Amino acid sequence: MKARHLSIIAKKEFRGLFNERTILLAVLLQLFIAMFSSFLMVGLTSMYDPSSLSKYSRYKYNIAYAGNDSAVLEYLQTSPDFRVYPMDLSTGVAALKERKLSAVIYVPDTSPSADEPVKITLYTLTNDLQSAIVDVKLKDVFLKYEKDLRQIRIDRLGELPIPLQVPKSSGGGDFYEFVYGLLIPLLVFMPAIIASALVIDLITEEYQHETLETLISTPITFSEMVWGKVLACELLVPIQAGAWLLLLMVNGIAIQNAGLILLQVVVTSLILILLGALTALHYRERTAAQFIFSTALVVVILFVLALPSNPLNLLTRLAVGTAGPEQWLVLAATGSVIIILGYLTQKYAERGGKSHHAG
Amino acid sequence: MGWLTDISTIARWEVKKSLTMMSREVLPFAIVLFILLVAVTGFAAQSGMHLQDGMYEVGVDDPRVAELIASDARFSVYRADPAILEKNRNAFDLVIMNGQVYSSGTDRAKAAQKTLERDYAKYVNSVYNRESDLFAAYPLWIDVQTVKSELTFLSTQSGQYVQAAPGRKAPVPEGEISAIPTPSASLDFTKEELRQELVKTSSKNTQISRYTEVLSAESTMGRFKTPSQLSPPLPFDSIILIFVFIFPLYFTSQFFMMSIMNERIERKGEVLLSTPVASSSIILGKMIPYFIGMLAICTALTLYVRAPLIILLPLIPVIVFFLANALLIGMLSRSFKELSFISIFFSTVATSYLFFPSIFANVHVISLISPLTLIVLSIQASPWTVTDYLYSTSLFWLTGAVLFYIGIRNFKEERLFSEKPLLPRIREFLSEIMSRKHPFLSVFLLAGFSIPFVFMVQLMSLTLFFNLPMPYSLVLLLIFAALVEECAKAVGIYTLFAQDPAFLTGKNLLAACAATAIGFLVAEKLLLFITLAQISESVFGSILFLSLGVLWMPLLLHFAGVLIVACSLKFWGRKGLVIGLVTATAVHCLYNLYFILGWIG
Repeated sequence: MKARHLSIIAKKEFRGLFNERTILLAVLLQLFIAMFSSFLMVGLTSMYDPSSLSKYSRYKYNIAYAGNDSAVLEYLQTSPDFRVYPMDLSTGVAALKERKLSAVIYVPDTSPSADEPVKITLYTLTNDLQSAIVDVKLKDVFLKYEKDLRQIRIDRLGELPIPLQVPKSSGGGDFYEFVYGLLIPLLVFMPAIIASALVIDLITEEYQHETLETLISTPITFSEMVWGKVLACELLVPIQAGAWLLLLMVNGIAIQNAGLILLQVVVTSLILILLGALTALHYRERTAAQFIFSTALVVVILFVLALPSNPLNLLTRLAVGTAGPEQWLVLAATGSVIIILGYLTQKYAERGGKSHHAG
Repeated sequence: MGWLTDISTIARWEVKKSLTMMSREVLPFAIVLFILLVAVTGFAAQSGMHLQDGMYEVGVDDPRVAELIASDARFSVYRADPAILEKNRNAFDLVIMNGQVYSSGTDRAKAAQKTLERDYAKYVNSVYNRESDLFAAYPLWIDVQTVKSELTFLSTQSGQYVQAAPGRKAPVPEGEISAIPTPSASLDFTKEELRQELVKTSSKNTQISRYTEVLSAESTMGRFKTPSQLSPPLPFDSIILIFVFIFPLYFTSQFFMMSIMNERIERKGEVLLSTPVASSSIILGKMIPYFIGMLAICTALTLYVRAPLIILLPLIPVIVFFLANALLIGMLSRSFKELSFISIFFSTVATSYLFFPSIFANVHVISLISPLTLIVLSIQASPWTVTDYLYSTSLFWLTGAVLFYIGIRNFKEERLFSEKPLLPRIREFLSEIMSRKHPFLSVFLLAGFSIPFVFMVQLMSLTLFFNLPMPYSLVLLLIFAALVEECAKAVGIYTLFAQDPAFLTGKNLLAACAATAIGFLVAEKLLLFITLAQISESVFGSILFLSLGVLWMPLLLHFAGVLIVACSLKFWGRKGLVIGLVTATAVHCLYNLYFILGWIG
């Protein structure tokens, strides 16, 4: 196998990609998804953690309080989030319907130390963004009251949980897990999936467009052609994954160990690309190869995700900076899978080349 | 009758062809993979998803606490003496000493604390659930009653908050006050019923349920909740739904795409084209098996998740839309890799159009833009009306139909087997549907039929920008909407120009611009009138779709916009297109600012 031949094939494929401007589509796609996810983040954050938007942090919600006096009323009055109006229940609900209030609370005449629980009735609006936020804020008040009541009834409890004092949270951190534990590994890994689908296209195209004869008649061998295509796809991965990391960083998401992340992605993606190449060599026809490959992909990814310290998990841990030396073990394991797949690809390609020469 | 026989013959061929191809080589592998898939799913369910393992590092002095925290794989737990922990406090996200949690204050630590709080709450609940005196452990219950309020776009137009804070006085309702019965102080359930429910909701502590928790948050207790169960319904269920229903559709439309593409490889489809069968019959015949297949998959899925069968109704236009796009993508792309990229691009955009609005399914009318919201509603057993159906599906029907028409008109030799780049091909496809004899009528119709696409893109941008805080969302929307409209109007003129630059004489240019402007306006008003009245009443709507009031002003605007583009095309050739579009967009924006929002002057 000659390096020069490989680079000729890889260059040819890159030229094809640039000529067709498909690469432009890939860039557009990337931008679109980046925009999409950052909008999603802003939207979800403002919806579920309104204090993140400083503009709204001083907003007071109007609440009607009906029924008997209790500690809840006191908590509501001292809360910076609410303005409480003691009201008649029916009037309160009518005002709620007209959106003059955010919620109505009715507290019954149950003694805090009674055998029965205290049942508070909460009226909110259906299908409303605002009531979702009010719910969150009210939840804090109710939790405080629940704690009080539990304290009053503590003698009746048989088993107490291990006590744990958690400091008052300073807000934020809601989407950390979503970003680092889901978005980053998926986005960074997406180029690998695209590249493996691409290698199928490149190989089956030679079969279906019957351009193979021309290619084989040059000094380039069949297996060199296959490896050249694998190389072209492999080179796309760090470019795209690197672009993702850059985009995420521009969006203000700090990513640690970007270099190591790229290394892991590049190595892991080779598994998928070789799987793609093998499928393509076997079927020599795009529909079947893509179908089998994408089903196999689901199986492989699901299986890998179910393994502890899998490469995708490693991406998360690298990004947050908690990966230890075990990453090199994972890399070695990935490497050995690649060697097996690489050997298989080589054998398959040699056989494919021979049968083609013979036929 | 001949037409129908043709279609059924071609449909039968298509099925036979794909079946023989599939069964020989693919079927054995597919079966093996399916068995593997079942096995792997079982394995994954058992071992959990290990995507977020070891994200956080915690130092603990108490072995009981360590055991408690280590049950969540997201934490790497280190046990050490308090003195050592104290010394290395910054090496950990959280340090727990003597039952007190200390955070290092970084973002990661904040997230770790949130996770810890949730885990701890679950643990506490599991202890309390065993309590014999349940009402000592859970002394407070909230009965959530929801009240319906007329929800309009105006009232929540910013997507944020609506109420202007009133003064010190309690608000007084203007309308009638209907008497609300005083709620009873007792729960309607026995202690044991409540306990079972609590156990059920807190036991789902697996790693997968982290993502799906809210899906089954609906308890049999319905409205009765403990305070900690009181949280907003994050619409994760709709995320899952999207992938359950959309993924197979996307997959199947790939086959259709490929079948079209295969006809074009090495001119294999020439035989088919040389038969006296109309191209519409060929396309319909080839499409019907896939349509039936997709419908069958959806029906099976619906029955499997035990959802009402009515959810098929909103899915049908989505299927048609997917197939129409698959047809055109299959006809347009030159190579497999182009096919892959375009189809990935299309499916991402389409999925986000479908998915984004349905995130707001329980929250806002904007969600009705997506047919999938109707599915979410059906599954929740909330009713929807025929108007809702029209509102969310009409764009899919219309765009699907237009795309099919373009496909049918272009399904012939010189288009299928040409090797031109993508954009010229799209232009050729468009010029095929324009009549040479009646260029102005064609421009008029083209402008009219571009409206459903324009609406789709604009609604997409609305859902995207809707998330941003108020002034930004409006400004971005303003610019983007103007740009989209100007682009759509420019298509007809540009196609005319590309066909024959000499055609655009002064007189023809004016006439074509007028035809475009009128076509655009008429279709816009027509479609608005039928479907989108709800949105068009809001501030957002007034930017997207000129209000229904005066007619000659928007007509003038459309005319001016397209005239600017046409003139720059005439004077600077193709290079002028971009300049023209930018200028026209600027004019359009200024118009909107001035007349609709009244921001200037």
